[in-house]
Amino acid sequence: MTTDSEANTMDDASRAPGATDVGTSAATGSVDGNGARPSDGETLVRVQDLVKHFPIRGGLLGVSKLGAVRAVDGVSFDVRRGETLGLVGESGCGKTTLGKVILRLIPATSGEVYIKDRAMFKQSGNQMKAIREDMQVVFQDPYASLNPRMTVGEIVGEGPLVHGLSNRKKREALVRELLGRVGLNQSHIHRYPHEFSGGQRQRIGIARALALNPEFVVCDEPVSALDVSIQSQVLNLLDDLQKELGLTYLFIAHNLAVVEHISDRVGVMYLGKIVELADVDTLYRDPRHPYTVALLSAVPETDPRRRRKRLVLRGDVPSPVNPPSGCRFHTRCWLREQLGNPENCVTEEPPLRVLAPGQQAACHWAEKISPEAIQSAADRQPTVATAEPAPAA
Amino acid sequence: MTNAVDAGDVGLLELRDLKTHFFTQDGTVRAVDGVTFEIRDGQTLGVVGESGCGKSITAMSVLRLIERPGRIIGGEVLLRGKNVLNYSDQEMRDVRGNQISMIFQEPMTSLNPVYTCGDQIAEAVELHEAISRREAWGRAIEMLAQVGIPEPARRAKQYPHQMSGGMRQRVMIAMALSTNPELLIADEPTTALDVTIQAQILELMKALRERNKMAIMLITHDLGVVAEMADEVVVMYSGKVFERADALTIFEQPHNPYTRGLLASIPRLGDKRERLEVIRGVVPNPLNLPTGCLFKRRCPYAMPVCDTPPPVRQVKAGHISRCWLTPESEPPSIGADAPPEVAEAAAQELTVAGR
Ligand SMILES: Nc1ncnc2c1ncn2[C@@H]1O[C@H](COP(=O)(O)OP(=O)(O)OP(=O)(O)O)[C@@H](O)[C@H]1O
Ligand SMILES: Nc1ncnc2c1ncn2[C@@H]1O[C@H](COP(=O)(O)OP(=O)(O)OP(=O)(O)O)[C@@H](O)[C@H]1O
Ligand code: SF4
Ligand SMILES: [Mg+2]
Ligand SMILES: [Mg+2]
Repeated sequence: MTTDSEANTMDDASRAPGATDVGTSAATGSVDGNGARPSDGETLVRVQDLVKHFPIRGGLLGVSKLGAVRAVDGVSFDVRRGETLGLVGESGCGKTTLGKVILRLIPATSGEVYIKDRAMFKQSGNQMKAIREDMQVVFQDPYASLNPRMTVGEIVGEGPLVHGLSNRKKREALVRELLGRVGLNQSHIHRYPHEFSGGQRQRIGIARALALNPEFVVCDEPVSALDVSIQSQVLNLLDDLQKELGLTYLFIAHNLAVVEHISDRVGVMYLGKIVELADVDTLYRDPRHPYTVALLSAVPETDPRRRRKRLVLRGDVPSPVNPPSGCRFHTRCWLREQLGNPENCVTEEPPLRVLAPGQQAACHWAEKISPEAIQSAADRQPTVATAEPAPAA
Repeated sequence: MTNAVDAGDVGLLELRDLKTHFFTQDGTVRAVDGVTFEIRDGQTLGVVGESGCGKSITAMSVLRLIERPGRIIGGEVLLRGKNVLNYSDQEMRDVRGNQISMIFQEPMTSLNPVYTCGDQIAEAVELHEAISRREAWGRAIEMLAQVGIPEPARRAKQYPHQMSGGMRQRVMIAMALSTNPELLIADEPTTALDVTIQAQILELMKALRERNKMAIMLITHDLGVVAEMADEVVVMYSGKVFERADALTIFEQPHNPYTRGLLASIPRLGDKRERLEVIRGVVPNPLNLPTGCLFKRRCPYAMPVCDTPPPVRQVKAGHISRCWLTPESEPPSIGADAPPEVAEAAAQELTVAGR
């Protein structure tokens, strides 16, 4: 198997599980341009009406169902081959859950995920094993996500071992290649995670994700726990690997500048829903959901000359157990307030609709957003009493 | 915003060559190793640097909250000209109850879970002033209202775990402000919070500093927060101040290679760069620091002379940088490969008086 064809192949047969050379290709992959970005529009992963509810149980034996945390509550989108789809949103909005359900690390409540047009949730255990090779994950916490009792060699080599690369020599060669690829010293293969810095540990996590030569990698806050000087090292590495190996990323983060830097398209989540999805430049330049506007406005300006009066959202994110009716954002929405609290925000759930090519938003009043509207909302807000929305008029 | 330059009143707080070391089993950690800076009345000083560079320990040293195996082993902490390191425990309690308040990095660990939020604020007020419990409770509710907590009377009766992270941080701020301090030390006040909540808290702090005319020592690793809030900035690295200047200078004309590296490595909104600059390597192990400049292994400008500890130079008035590069960023006049004896003498010579 040559790497170049392997890295981009769509052919399932060529990635049969159990083949001894599975994965070696990732390691021997040449650095030349097989990762040239494939044409737009080709869908690698399709997420359809995905729902994940965590039941809240109570009662003496914890059996009576009291309700559910609606962590992911009807989410649909495509991920195109070779792109980075960024996913932003505040803590608890469901990003990690979404990533895990997509990878089938936890079962979905309903909905479906297709990878290369195969419905994932309908696959049997064995078929799933083959799919697993295509999809990998890099977790947020480089400290917690690596088993402290395993050496780097064992951690990175575990996937290939499980997937049939039983020859120890070959496995070690593969691990060494991977370590080199992510910029770690190959001679550190017998060391344990605690002997590495945070950034190095995240590299180990990335090497582990690459070991099965995946096409699709979910990166869940891969740089959030890292110091700023290390963050850029890891971001550049992810970028290089994508180019070299033609990887497709779902990149989850809460840092909007990081997401802007790395993404081709960006989805914004709020309370289990995607409220806006657009090409990166469009989303950052011309946001079409009031929540996106507020998120962007909240980012501290890294230029002291541009200190400004910002649009500050009032209140906290409501509980995902009892999300607000209609538009879930209506309890904190500055646009709704500006428009005199229109009824439909409370009664009708706005669908994610296409506003322009490459731009979707879920707001009844998306067309009313303009720089002037944003400025006037920012100017009108009180400075201190930002804790909770004013009582509805 | 207070203008950093015009403040005629000097030194609310001045640190001079402060050293706090930890004597651990594995060796000595020089967490704070000769830190010098000053905060004037009403000024906001940003203290930035990566994890472990000594920001929190600097703050805790000011309040003398260092516990074993740590010890303040040198320097002075001058509060209105008096060295608090010589204060009795009682005097120190007075400082903490009156002049200086601190907001800690983790709100949950610094609020007491078994008392209501109102109780905790009321107690701080009672310690500060001779007033009745009832008056103190009234003041607590007033403070909660001031920091924008709705229904303060009801919220005062709640326990910290019944509140969201943003609310708890407001309670922390309310408690810190209840004694009307001259200086608020805020250690990563927004790091654990979401961006929209962070924005709320930053706006709140801006409004309150205006209203209360207090100085703030704002500790953070987020350069954005600093750009947003600070009049003056101290950049720390491995226990030392590497650069200090007014905020504009730090962001527009940084001198120190570490500061420049930091600024170039963060992605910013609207940043069109394909690749980010990288500071190679990692921060040095505090138990095994390099000799000479602590940044030399990662520094793109490193020269042989950097094996000798660099001088703390004045780049221009109010702007200092710990580096061998001249203010024009040229190698020093003694030469890039000056021998250690020459370099040591030159470093002494070049170091700004009093540093
Ligand atoms: N195993 C679980 N059981 C019950 N509730 C859960 C579980 N996992 C997540 N949740 C809840 O689901 C919601 C979404 O959580 P999730 O971790 O996906 O958020 P997130 O967007 O990744 O947040 P963060 O930015 O903090 O990582 C939260 O309200 C969370 O408390
Ligand atoms: N109790 C302790 N024993 C030994 N070393 C300590 C102790 N407390 C702190 N240190 C060390 O002192 C140094 C400075 O720590 P400090 O907490 O001030 O860092 P910081 O700049 O606040 O970092 P962060 O951004 O992670 O909060 C670190 O190297 C730390 O490991
Ligand atoms: S639908 Fe209404 S409440 Fe929702 S975002 Fe739009 S204006 Fe705001
Ligand atoms: Mg998460
Ligand atoms: Mg700290």
